[in-house]
Amino acid sequence: MQGKSTGGSRAVIVGIFVFIGVAIFIVTILTLGSQHKTFAKSITVKSFFDNVNGLQKGNNIWFSGVRVGIIRNVSLRQNGTVEVDMSIEDESVKFIPYDVKAKLSTDGLIGNKIIEIYGGTPNAAKIKEGDIINAEKLLSTEAMMSTLSKNNDNLFAITSDFKIISNRLAQGKGTLGKLLTDETMMDELNATTGILKKAAQNLQQLSTNVDAYTKKLNDKGTLANDLVTDTVIFNKLRATVSRLQNVADSSQRIIANFKTTGDIINTGLKDKNTPAGMLLNDASSAATIKITLQNLQSASKKLDEDLEAVQHNFLLRRFFKKKAKEEQRVVLDTVVTK
Amino acid sequence: MYFKKSREYFITKKIDQFFIELNNALQFVWRFFKEVFKPPYEAREIIRQCYQVGYKSLFLITLTGFITGLVFTKQSRPSLSQFGASSWLPSLVAIAIIRALAALVTALICAGKVGSNIGAELGSMKVTEQIDAMEVSAVNPFKFLVVSRVLATTLMVPMLMCYSGFVAMLGAYLNVHHNELTSFISFFQAAFDKISFLDIFSSLIKSIVYGFTIGMVACYKGFHASNGTEGVGRAANSSVVLSMFLIFIEEILIVQITNSYRT
Repeated sequence: MQGKSTGGSRAVIVGIFVFIGVAIFIVTILTLGSQHKTFAKSITVKSFFDNVNGLQKGNNIWFSGVRVGIIRNVSLRQNGTVEVDMSIEDESVKFIPYDVKAKLSTDGLIGNKIIEIYGGTPNAAKIKEGDIINAEKLLSTEAMMSTLSKNNDNLFAITSDFKIISNRLAQGKGTLGKLLTDETMMDELNATTGILKKAAQNLQQLSTNVDAYTKKLNDKGTLANDLVTDTVIFNKLRATVSRLQNVADSSQRIIANFKTTGDIINTGLKDKNTPAGMLLNDASSAATIKITLQNLQSASKKLDEDLEAVQHNFLLRRFFKKKAKEEQRVVLDTVVTK
Repeated sequence: MYFKKSREYFITKKIDQFFIELNNALQFVWRFFKEVFKPPYEAREIIRQCYQVGYKSLFLITLTGFITGLVFTKQSRPSLSQFGASSWLPSLVAIAIIRALAALVTALICAGKVGSNIGAELGSMKVTEQIDAMEVSAVNPFKFLVVSRVLATTLMVPMLMCYSGFVAMLGAYLNVHHNELTSFISFFQAAFDKISFLDIFSSLIKSIVYGFTIGMVACYKGFHASNGTEGVGRAANSSVVLSMFLIFIEEILIVQITNSYRT
């Protein structure tokens, strides 16, 4: 029992033993503390989730795939939502904008639950103590399975369709099937390809021409180049355009005057009190004018008869005979001359 | 006959003996708490006992802890590999070792080695009337023999638990590194990821309670040994059996209490 050790050396050994034991304990505590950021300065922010799927106090918070803090507390609220208090370490705060969003995620496919912070405007103000981070609605496993099931159904339908298509292709049905099996289709396709090739050559020629034309645009002295580069021509053109603009303005004014005049005439024509309006619109005046015209016709007829009578009057008969002879002589002279 | 017997004993002989034993044990514990704070303090004897309990058990604890970590990791690997979750192995092993195995294995080893040692030593002193002689020579045998040993086990078992846990984690690391080429830092980061302060402190408290139990049971059994050399053997044997039994009972209770604090 006593062994070789004396009382003094025993005390030293026990001291070393205790020292190492306590050191292991302290190192464990410090490692745990540093890993869980227990002793790191941090700020606390909140987020509210409908469902946290088993998220626990102490779970990690990730931002861009880097661990930036831990869950401090998870508690239910009166309205059935879950309040999650998150501790974000001070070192990471300067990288996290205030408008980030939080979503529930897992560390790997079947790993621990984590909160993933993402998004936010890079140049926005940074997150601070007491801020509330908007939570993204959780997509539950059931919902994912349901979506997967739908995807499976769709995949089945797609593969069924493909099966039909491949069968038809193999049997040479449809355009593609014929394309694969029919020799004439291939010949036609070859011919079409030849035409397309020719068209492509033409297109190339056209583009060469366009290229040559555009090069000419750079030749000095040409109209196009002058238009683009000569400031004198441009100024003249501008002056011409300005004059045209003036002419157009004057024309517009004239048309406006015509319009005003037309309006006045139109108004006058519609007004019974004006002479023209009366002529156009007053029925009694029209009747009077009609009678007047009838009277004038009658009077002119009578005057015609009177004039006929005057021609046969002895006083004027000689004048009319002389006039007839004069006209006859003019006609004869014309004939002779021709 | 029956009535005569029932008048002789309060309930039955065995039950009465059980309660008398319980009463004696409680008085023994109470006396320890009275004596522990009362001078003179037997520092030299406490250090000697610490040396015997702690240092002398170190090799056994190291070997046991290392094998525990190594074997536990090796045996857990196939189950986790089935799910493609071998990366969880460090966390799993750390939880198992720090929460339960380190404290429990250390306590059981100490109960076997130290408990039997103390039980036999005090038992032989009792049956050879050395304890009575100490009383006659004005030395408080309880303070010198019991308080020093109980303090030594109470202090040294937590220390041994720390060693045991550390060595077990090293054993686990060797296995993980051998199979997955995981680095030392990655392994310990993954291992501590799922460990909380509650786990560490509950383990520490457990080992203090286990140490106290081993010391008290062994001292009680040795201090109350009788019937010569046969009594010494019985004291050594019963101190191991009873302390192991009590360790498991305490394990259940402490786990229940700490789990109530867990979220």
